[in-house]
Amino acid sequence: MTQDTSTDVVVVGAGPAGMTAASCLAESGVRALVLDEHTAPGGQVYRNVEKVTDKRSADLDVLGSHYRNGSKLVERLHSSGAQYWPGTSVWEISAAEEPTLAVGVVRDGRVRMIQADHIILATGAMERPTPFPGWTLPGVMTVGAAQTLLKSSGLVPDGRIAVAGSGPLLYLYVSQLIKAGKKPQVILDTRPRASLQAKLSVLTALTVDPASMFRGLGWMREVRREVRVRERVHQLRAGGVEKLSSISYESCDRQFTDEVDLLLVHDGVIPNTWLGMSAGCRHHWHAQQRCWVPDITGVGQTSRQSVSVVGDAAGIIGADASVLQGEAVAREVIACLEGKQQTAVGNTAHPWLVRQHRLLRRCLDQFYPPAQEFELPPDDETIVCRCEEVTAGEIRRVAALGCVGPNQGKAFTRCGMGPCMGRKCGVTVSRLIAEHHGLGMDEVGHYRIRPPVKPITVGQLAELEIDAHAHTA
Amino acid sequence: MFRRRDRVSDPVTIWFCDRAIEAVADDSVAAALLAAGIACFGRTPVSGAPRAPFCMIGNCFDCLVEIDGETNLQACLVTVRDGMRIRSHPGNGPGDDSEKGKA
Amino acid sequence: MKHLDIAVIGGGLLGSAFAYGLSADGGRVGLIDEGDHAIRTARGNFGLVWVQGKGLNMPDYARWSLRSAYAWTPFSEQLHAQTGISVEYHRPGGFYVSIDEQEFADNLALLKQLRNEAGEDGYDYEIVEPSALRKQLPEIGPAVPGATYCPHDGHANPLKLLRALQEGFQLNGGVYTPRARVTHIVPLKSGGFEIHCDGGHRFGSDKLVIAAGHGSAELGHHLGMEIPIFPVQGQVVVTERAQMTMAYPTNYVRQTDDGNYLLGPSARDVGFNDETETTTLRDITRRCTTAFPHLKRLRVQRTWAALRIMTPDGFPVYLQSEAYPEAFSFSCHSGVTLAAVHATDVSRWVLDGQIPSRYRCFHPERFNVPA
Repeated sequence: MTQDTSTDVVVVGAGPAGMTAASCLAESGVRALVLDEHTAPGGQVYRNVEKVTDKRSADLDVLGSHYRNGSKLVERLHSSGAQYWPGTSVWEISAAEEPTLAVGVVRDGRVRMIQADHIILATGAMERPTPFPGWTLPGVMTVGAAQTLLKSSGLVPDGRIAVAGSGPLLYLYVSQLIKAGKKPQVILDTRPRASLQAKLSVLTALTVDPASMFRGLGWMREVRREVRVRERVHQLRAGGVEKLSSISYESCDRQFTDEVDLLLVHDGVIPNTWLGMSAGCRHHWHAQQRCWVPDITGVGQTSRQSVSVVGDAAGIIGADASVLQGEAVAREVIACLEGKQQTAVGNTAHPWLVRQHRLLRRCLDQFYPPAQEFELPPDDETIVCRCEEVTAGEIRRVAALGCVGPNQGKAFTRCGMGPCMGRKCGVTVSRLIAEHHGLGMDEVGHYRIRPPVKPITVGQLAELEIDAHAHTA
Repeated sequence: MFRRRDRVSDPVTIWFCDRAIEAVADDSVAAALLAAGIACFGRTPVSGAPRAPFCMIGNCFDCLVEIDGETNLQACLVTVRDGMRIRSHPGNGPGDDSEKGKA
Repeated sequence: MKHLDIAVIGGGLLGSAFAYGLSADGGRVGLIDEGDHAIRTARGNFGLVWVQGKGLNMPDYARWSLRSAYAWTPFSEQLHAQTGISVEYHRPGGFYVSIDEQEFADNLALLKQLRNEAGEDGYDYEIVEPSALRKQLPEIGPAVPGATYCPHDGHANPLKLLRALQEGFQLNGGVYTPRARVTHIVPLKSGGFEIHCDGGHRFGSDKLVIAAGHGSAELGHHLGMEIPIFPVQGQVVVTERAQMTMAYPTNYVRQTDDGNYLLGPSARDVGFNDETETTTLRDITRRCTTAFPHLKRLRVQRTWAALRIMTPDGFPVYLQSEAYPEAFSFSCHSGVTLAAVHATDVSRWVLDGQIPSRYRCFHPERFNVPA
């Protein structure tokens, strides 16, 4: 058995949670291997931070002070002794029924299996799906995508830009864009009129974490001063032939049409649970965050004994809390490897701080509720499954036929059978079915996720050499 | 759709559907193509609708391409290399540099 | 409590075919089904409508499969006319491809024996050498020693079939009740049955068809029907769409109308484990790329594992309760091939109240006969 096909702990993802967990493990003498599908550590929030810090200081100013924190985490990872494999995608975690735990990876065009005693999933977050008519046109992208282009390549949008949705990331990005010398034409805020609860949540958040809140409110104020904002936006549609050329929407009972070259959408982030689901970890619907989250005991222990989850992948908590959680999960895993139980109190470093982050997150969720129309697209013509081009109307139709869950929906319509494996449609499909039948999301459930979770070819799979040791009793 | 903030340093040349594109050494393939004005990376197998990157973090798969003969690569996750030859993913319809409207 | 003339328990490929066939007769038929997250073998079916190689030591089964293959054409046309859904049935004939000499020899020996058993009925197949094979299957791999061809073989889309059956059933006035797992069945002194389900659903029914996949054994047991079934796991690899080049289905690989290839088969004895396993997936792709090397470049779009409903000899188990003759149970692992006869012949048996004696060969009493 060659040295690089087995390790103590595999950490999937090199964002703040993954980097911290791996660093902590390695510093404690545990063999840790970080698998990162990107080419440099940082995850999304600190994407490309090493290069930007070294070579693009002008961009560093634009991206803001919080982004710079990423450098310290990367330095720690590099000096901790943890192994780091960039450009490596994880396509499989062996089933719980199999005798050894193994992670299937694809790297440099080759597929291989890595044995481990424990896996930590730090797969972070992804943007909440935002289906609306025309969202599949070239020229419609997520705010996160635009921010990634800024971080990784110093690109700013050109031409006429509209930004739609809500959430702190939306305002952060636009404030960065303004610093970079580019203003969007309009921001379409999809939030309903703020409820009393939402207003109170701001006050609560200000007392819980004034620094973050002032920062966030600062972006918002700055952006609203510079850019026109339309409120309570409904009926968003993107139009164009071959690519986006215009948008139409309703705001405060008025109809608008704008000619635009780029529409950036964002409606909050949700955990990236695909790998955990494929590993058979149980998940449940988080009613407040409106997303699937893994069932967790302790700090990060999933329903599968040798799999932990940390950071936004476990439930949206943000970068700073992810670092704290990374430390705590690493300690929990070390105890698990040593066969010890750790008490709940002993598990969490700075428990008060973590609670504070959770409370802040709850306030943000109330202040930025996801748009009803993205969650349940009213127009039957809206494409819900981008890959297979299955519409909301088709999902409603099979729900009426008796589909009571997304897997039967998938069998009947092909939604979820494309390359994204339901990442972009899964939540919407379950919501539409739940709505039709008056069921809760936990009753409807989510797609059954099977490997490969990331692309591999038939030929790569056929060439897989599986270590003989993997199957000794 | 996108332009570079800085002047191009460390330039490399890559090819998309036989069109030469100037990129920067650290670009992802997706970023390089977007910066060059490529609006359509490929077309859907179902209806032939045009697609371009949507999420840039490896979740939407609208940026699938073939690079130097290897298929099923997500352009947002691959870094450019000088001389790289990129085509639309063969399972999808062909992309284009639709700024010029050439199919 | 809903009253039904006939209750069909199980909404998979068997149950849906029975419900469809029974509902065409005009009575009040109910299809009672579990929810989305149950074993659901129907989702893992390969899609072959296959005759070749079946029925060793039971020529009745070979005949039954052939009968179904021929009933498939009007069956699929009727489904299409009624629901607008094409189940993509094609019968260009099929190839059993061998990837090494031993497999080829074993296959030829099997077919020879089947021909002997068929006697004067005949048994249609041809041996196809590689050069001839290349004309029909241009992508065939260089290592393939040969194949056998049977003109009766074909394939269909099992998922579209399931949807079409359920739509047709409902168009016929049938009532589909999901999320209603049957917990127990009470035979009534006055005749008929009371069916109790979780979720609070209850049904009264004159007749009962148990087609609940792996759940049939327990349900049947309480009505005096001993159904010897057990799970055999099969895994399938599905590729992305590709240009249509494979005009014929084969035992290892078939290409769907959407262009995806399905790669199989496999068999594992792992109880009720429906998770995929890497070595099995790897072995499937190795065998299939020996047969068809051009598949190597295609992306694995998804993999699947499903639990076949297997009987001790692999042939169907069809029976009627002796104590309660209005209760029937049907189990098999060839839900696609036999869908046509299930929707026609077998539904007729239930309506007539009797399994014809010539199909007694499928009764599980055959397993109690001393060797």
